Amino acid sequence: MKTTSISSSRREEALIHCRLPIADCRFKPRGLGGFILFLALFFATPLFAADLTADFSTANKLYAEGKFADAAAAYEKVLSGGVSSPALLFNAGNAEFKSGHLGHAIVAYRRAALRSPRDAELRANLAFVRNQVSGATHRESRWLNWTGALTLNEGTVLTAVLFWLTLALFIARQLRPALIPKLNNATWILAALTIFSLSVLGLRATNHFTQATAVVTAAETTARSGPFDEAQSAFTLHDGAELSVLDRHGDWVQVADRAGKTGWLPVKQVEILPGA
Amino acid sequence: MRFNLKTLAIFLFVALECGAAWAASFTASLDRDAITLGEQATLSLAFEGGQSRTVPTPHVPGLQFSQVGNSQNFSIVNGAMSSTVTVTFSVTPQRAGEFVIPALTAEVGGQRLATEPLKLVVSRANAPSAETVNSGSEVVFLKFTFPKSKVYAGESVVARLELYVREDVQNFGNFQLTSSPTDGFSAGKVAELQNQRRRAQVGNHVYTVIPLAVPLTAVRTGPLTLGPFTAGAVIVLPSPNQGGDPFFRMINQGEQKQVTLATEAVHVESLPLPDQNKPANFAGAIGNFSMTASAGPTNLTVGDPITVRVQISGRGALDALTFPVQNAWRDFKTFAPTVKLEASDPFGFQGTKTFEQIISPQNSDVHELPPFAFVFFNPDDGQYHTLTQAAVPLAVKAAGSTPLPALAAKDNSAPENQTPQDILPVKENLGTLAGETTPLVTRPGFLAVQAVPVLALLAAFVWRKRTDSLAHNPRLRRQLAVAQLIADGNADLKKFAAENQPDEFFALLFRLLQEQLGERLDCPASAITENVIDEHPVLQDAPEPTRAALRELFQLCNQARYAPVRGRSELNSVTAKFEQASQELQEVKA
Repeated sequence: MKTTSISSSRREEALIHCRLPIADCRFKPRGLGGFILFLALFFATPLFAADLTADFSTANKLYAEGKFADAAAAYEKVLSGGVSSPALLFNAGNAEFKSGHLGHAIVAYRRAALRSPRDAELRANLAFVRNQVSGATHRESRWLNWTGALTLNEGTVLTAVLFWLTLALFIARQLRPALIPKLNNATWILAALTIFSLSVLGLRATNHFTQATAVVTAAETTARSGPFDEAQSAFTLHDGAELSVLDRHGDWVQVADRAGKTGWLPVKQVEILPGA
Repeated sequence: MRFNLKTLAIFLFVALECGAAWAASFTASLDRDAITLGEQATLSLAFEGGQSRTVPTPHVPGLQFSQVGNSQNFSIVNGAMSSTVTVTFSVTPQRAGEFVIPALTAEVGGQRLATEPLKLVVSRANAPSAETVNSGSEVVFLKFTFPKSKVYAGESVVARLELYVREDVQNFGNFQLTSSPTDGFSAGKVAELQNQRRRAQVGNHVYTVIPLAVPLTAVRTGPLTLGPFTAGAVIVLPSPNQGGDPFFRMINQGEQKQVTLATEAVHVESLPLPDQNKPANFAGAIGNFSMTASAGPTNLTVGDPITVRVQISGRGALDALTFPVQNAWRDFKTFAPTVKLEASDPFGFQGTKTFEQIISPQNSDVHELPPFAFVFFNPDDGQYHTLTQAAVPLAVKAAGSTPLPALAAKDNSAPENQTPQDILPVKENLGTLAGETTPLVTRPGFLAVQAVPVLALLAAFVWRKRTDSLAHNPRLRRQLAVAQLIADGNADLKKFAAENQPDEFFALLFRLLQEQLGERLDCPASAITENVIDEHPVLQDAPEPTRAALRELFQLCNQARYAPVRGRSELNSVTAKFEQASQELQEVKA
C-alpha cells in the first residue's frame, strides 16, 4: 500500500539503494553512512518485495495470454534485480521453453533446482525439456540424483548436526563413564553416519565447485578442435545440450559430452552453471 | 657435495655472464618447411649469448603453437665459452596453405634482436590413387566407406574406416586420427570393431585390414561431405640392408617412418523427410523398429494405476526415441514414463528401448485402453510405418467414497499431469526471495563454530583424566582436600578473631594444625600432637624456625584451655603465624 504514496522516481531511488547490497555481497557499510543505509534498507525491503511481486504477476499474466517472449523478458527483468526464488526461476524456465529457447529454459530450471531440489514439478519440467533437446542430452549420475535431494546448504547443516550430536555423545562418555555401555551403540552409529555424511558432503562440494556445466543457448553451434574460429569443427551441438566444462581459454570453453567427445565452444554461445 | 654444487652454480653464472659479454644472437628455425595437414612441425627459438626475460610466441592465423620444451647448452671453443637456450614449439596447422611465421623480436643480453621470417607450406594429405593402391605399392593406406549415397536427416548410419597395413611392415603404432570432418553429421566415438580384423590380397601383397566404425547421424539436409579423414602413424619397415634373411630381421630394428594417411572425401545427399503420407502423430522416430506393448492390471477401480509397458526394438537413433503421444488417452491421468535403453551395439543404434508409463482411469465409463500406436520413418524404403497394439479391454469399477489411492512416485516420475505432453504450468506464488549467497560450507564463521564441540570434547577429556588421576591417588586427593580446608579455615580464624571468640578460634586452630601436619606426615590427623614436631623424621629435617613456630602454635592452643581470654590483636597475630607456618610446611618434603 505504501508504494502508491511515493513518487515513482523516489521509489526507483529506493530500489537502487536496496538492491545494491543484495547484488554485491562484498559491500560492507561502515560508520554513520552505513547505519543510515541499513535503516534505508530495513524500511525499503518490503517496498522492494511488493514491487517484485507486482512484476512477477505481470509476467505471469503475459504468460497466461500466450505472450511467452514478453513473459520471458518480464521474468528476466525481475531476475536482474539480483534476487530470485525457485518459483520465479521455474516460471522463467517455462517462458523460455515456450519461446523456443531450450537452453535458457534448462539453465533457469537448473538454477531453481539448486535451491529447491525436491520440487517434483520442477524435475518434471526439466526432464520434459531435456527430452526435447536433440543430439547430446544430459544424464545425471545415480549418486548425484540420490544426493541431489538436498541442497548443498541442507547437506551442510545435516552433517553439522550429526557432527555435534556425535561429539555430544563423546563428551557425555567423558563426563559420565557409567553411561558408556548405554551410549555405545548410539555413539558409533552416529559416528558412522557423520563420516558418511561428511564424505557425501565432500563429494557434493567438490562437484559443486569444480564440475561446472555448460548449457548451449545458441540454436546450433559447432564445437571446434581448438579455441579459435579457424580450428576444425569437431561436432555439432544444439540448443539445450548440456556438457561438462573441462577448461577455459579466453572467450572459449572446452567441453565434453557424455560420450567423451571434446571440443571448444565460444563462451557467448553457452551458459556456465556450477555443479549440482 | 654442497661445495661442489655451489662451485658449479658460480661456474654456470660466470659462464652465462661471460656468454652475455659476447655478441648475442636470436634465431628461429623450423625442422622442415613443408608438411601435410595433420602433421606437426617444430619451431626452435635459440637465444645465444644471453637469456631473454620473455619468450615471444608467434601468432599466425591457421597455425597453432604450443611450447613443448626448452634446453640449454654450454660450449667452450678455443677457451671461449658460450651458452645457448633453445625454446621449442610444436606447430600444428589448422588448414592447408602457405604460412609465414613473422620475424620475432626479443631482448637478449641487453640487445634487441629479431629473427628472420620463416615460411611453412602445408599441403593437404591426398589419398593415394586407385592405381597405386591396387598395385600394392602403398605400405599403409586408409579407406573410408559410407554404405549409402543418400540418407535422410535424422538417420543413423555406421560408416567404416579401414586401415590397410602391408605384411612386410614390422611394426605399426601411434595411430591417431588427425582430422575427421563430418560436417552436417553428428559423429560418435570412432572405435575399432572388435574381432573383425582380416587379411586381404591387394595387388601382389597381403594386407592386414583393421576396421574402425564411425557412428554418424545426419543432422542437416542437402549435399554433405564426409572426409577426407586423415591420420598419422609410425611404421617400421625392413631396413634395405637386411634383405630377406630372417636372421638379420631378428637383429635389425628396421627403419622407422612417420606416415600421413588420408581418405577420399565422400559426398552424401541428405534428404528431408517426405511430407507425403506423414502421419499426424509422427514424433521423429527414424529407423526400422518393431514394438510390443502390454498393460495391466485390467480389472481395477477408478484411480487405480495401470502400468503400460512398451518395448521398441530395432535399428535407428534409439537415444532420440520418445514415448509416443497417445491422444486417445483422454480418460486417463498419465504420469511421466520411465525409460530404459538396452543397446546391443556399442553405438546405441541397435537395441531395445523400454518405456513404462503409469496411467489411471478417471471414471468407470472406461472400458478399454485405446489402441496404442507408434509411428516411425523407415529410411530403407522411404516410407512411414505405423505399429499398432490392439485395444486392451478394461473392467473399471466406480471408486465410491473411497479416496483415490496414492501412487508411489519413483525418482524420475512426475506428479500427476493434466496435459502430459507439455510442461507443467507456471507458479502463481513468488515464494521466498533470496540473493546469491556463499554456500555455508565455505563460510569461515560457520566452519569456526564447528570447532566448539571439538574444544568441548577436549575439555571433557582433560577433566576426565584429572578425575581419574585423583581417584587413583589418595595422597593427592588428601592434599587437595587439606589445602581447601586450610583456605576455608584461615577465613574462619580471621572471623573468630574479629568476633573475639578465643575458644572457637583455638579449637579450630588446633584442628587445622592436626590436618595440615597429618597430611604432610601421611598419618591420621587425630594422631598429631606437639610431640611429632621433635619425633617425626620428616619434621626433623624441617627448618628450625618452622618447627619453633609450630611448637608455639601448639602451646598457645594448650594454654587457651586454661587461660582462654585473649584480645583481638593477639588472635590476629596468631592467625598470621599459622598462615606463615602453613606455607613453610608446604616446603617440607613429605
